[in-house]
Amino acid sequence: MPAKAAATAEVTPEATTVPAAVPSRSYIWDKLHSLSGIVPIGAFLAEHFWSNSYALVSIDRYNQASYDLQTIPWRVPVEALLIWLPILYHGFYGVYIWSKGESNLSRYGYGANWMYALQRWTGLIAFVFIGWHVYVERFMTQGRSTYFDVATTMANPLYLSFYVIGILAVSFHFGNGLWQFANKWGLVVGRDAQRKAAWITGAIGVLFAVVGLLIIFGFVFQWRPFQFYAQ
Amino acid sequence: MAEGKTIVVKIKRQASPTEPARWEEFSVRWRPNMNVIACLIDIAENPVTRYGKPTTPVSYEANCLEEVCGACAVVINGRSRQACSALVDHLDQPIRIEPMSSFPIVRDLVVDRSKMFEDAKRLRCWVPIDGTYDIGPGPRIAPERQQVAYALSRCIFCGNCLEVCPKVNEHSDFVGAALINQVRLFNMHPTGAMHAHERLQAVRGIGGIQECDNAQNCVKACPKGIPLTESNNDVNRQALLDAIFGWMFR
Ligand code: SF4
Ligand code: FES
Repeated sequence: MPAKAAATAEVTPEATTVPAAVPSRSYIWDKLHSLSGIVPIGAFLAEHFWSNSYALVSIDRYNQASYDLQTIPWRVPVEALLIWLPILYHGFYGVYIWSKGESNLSRYGYGANWMYALQRWTGLIAFVFIGWHVYVERFMTQGRSTYFDVATTMANPLYLSFYVIGILAVSFHFGNGLWQFANKWGLVVGRDAQRKAAWITGAIGVLFAVVGLLIIFGFVFQWRPFQFYAQ
Repeated sequence: MAEGKTIVVKIKRQASPTEPARWEEFSVRWRPNMNVIACLIDIAENPVTRYGKPTTPVSYEANCLEEVCGACAVVINGRSRQACSALVDHLDQPIRIEPMSSFPIVRDLVVDRSKMFEDAKRLRCWVPIDGTYDIGPGPRIAPERQQVAYALSRCIFCGNCLEVCPKVNEHSDFVGAALINQVRLFNMHPTGAMHAHERLQAVRGIGGIQECDNAQNCVKACPKGIPLTESNNDVNRQALLDAIFGWMFR
């Protein structure tokens, strides 16, 4: 770099008066922020919805799936590195990003501006929800959560509504976050490409929301559409 | 037409950066096809408020009166736009005019937009051609590429895209959509591309492209219809590839 700069200075005298680029660490941290939302957090979210869908098969299968996950080798380091640390990073750095932005919806109520504002709010709701959820289902149960534990929590209407809000917030934040990712990593450029990406990532968000709500439905109404698998 | 019809204009005024802001109301005689600048000219001719109180003429900036110089950007009825292309007949009354809030105020509607120029220097938004000898003509540019570049080159540095951006405020140094568009424009140019890496490095610096969170108000506010979100994503891709692979090939 220094050699190049010197060469430029020779041909363009004004180059010497040009303010130098100010290096910033925030670039890499911001990129890691959007990446961490996809892997590992988004990937874990998909896995989590998948294994919780066993509630739609049978209580036994659900407990079996939980037990299998609870007895993986290196459980705590795996949880810490792939789940807790990324979520803490994503959450706290997200709040920091929030603090650098403002919302001006009242003046400029365009669609994408709404998505920007909702992304901030759903992120905050999701972070609080996940914190509570992990505390109740992971730590209060000593890491041995069963169908019964979750069903007991959901029997309380207050907690149940928190679950519904949490799942909707998480699904929105993930779906819209995928779209953000496609923009921020330059995976889509043109306006049409952006729009197509919005449809695809929106569909993914809706899919997560629907599956999440169906799982809740399974818990609350003992609805087991896939029970015949287990028979 | 209704003779003697008047319009009410409310202007946010501030005598100097240190003085408090206040609102003043003026009444201006209506004429056909009037724009907001015409109202300001009338007020300057006769600086008396609607209630008959003499006051100072309102300071404002304008040059071309045809949306090509960028000078006249203000916030009209809550929306940042060019005053010269804001036709009175299309606006709700009273017409509220405020200075842009993303730049330091100078006086009344005049703000200091030199931040954009300083950022343009930092991001090397030019094609270096000066030297000690004639370096001859540059390479030809394919017509399709010219068309894309032409659209990007129409930026008038009005600052509307910064004003409407929720990430341009006192807590962040974000350079704003216009500057990122400039990086794309000059990286597209065959001679400008010789400094592509320097621009990409700068655009990853303080207040760089990472600050964008895609509220995408910029593209709606741009009076020149520049595809700013497209430019943004394109520069995102360039900057990322340069960051990840750049060091391997240098
Ligand atoms: S990109 Fe558009 S809105 Fe932004 S400064 Fe240029 S012309 Fe104005
Ligand atoms: S006076 Fe030039 S853009 Fe309005």
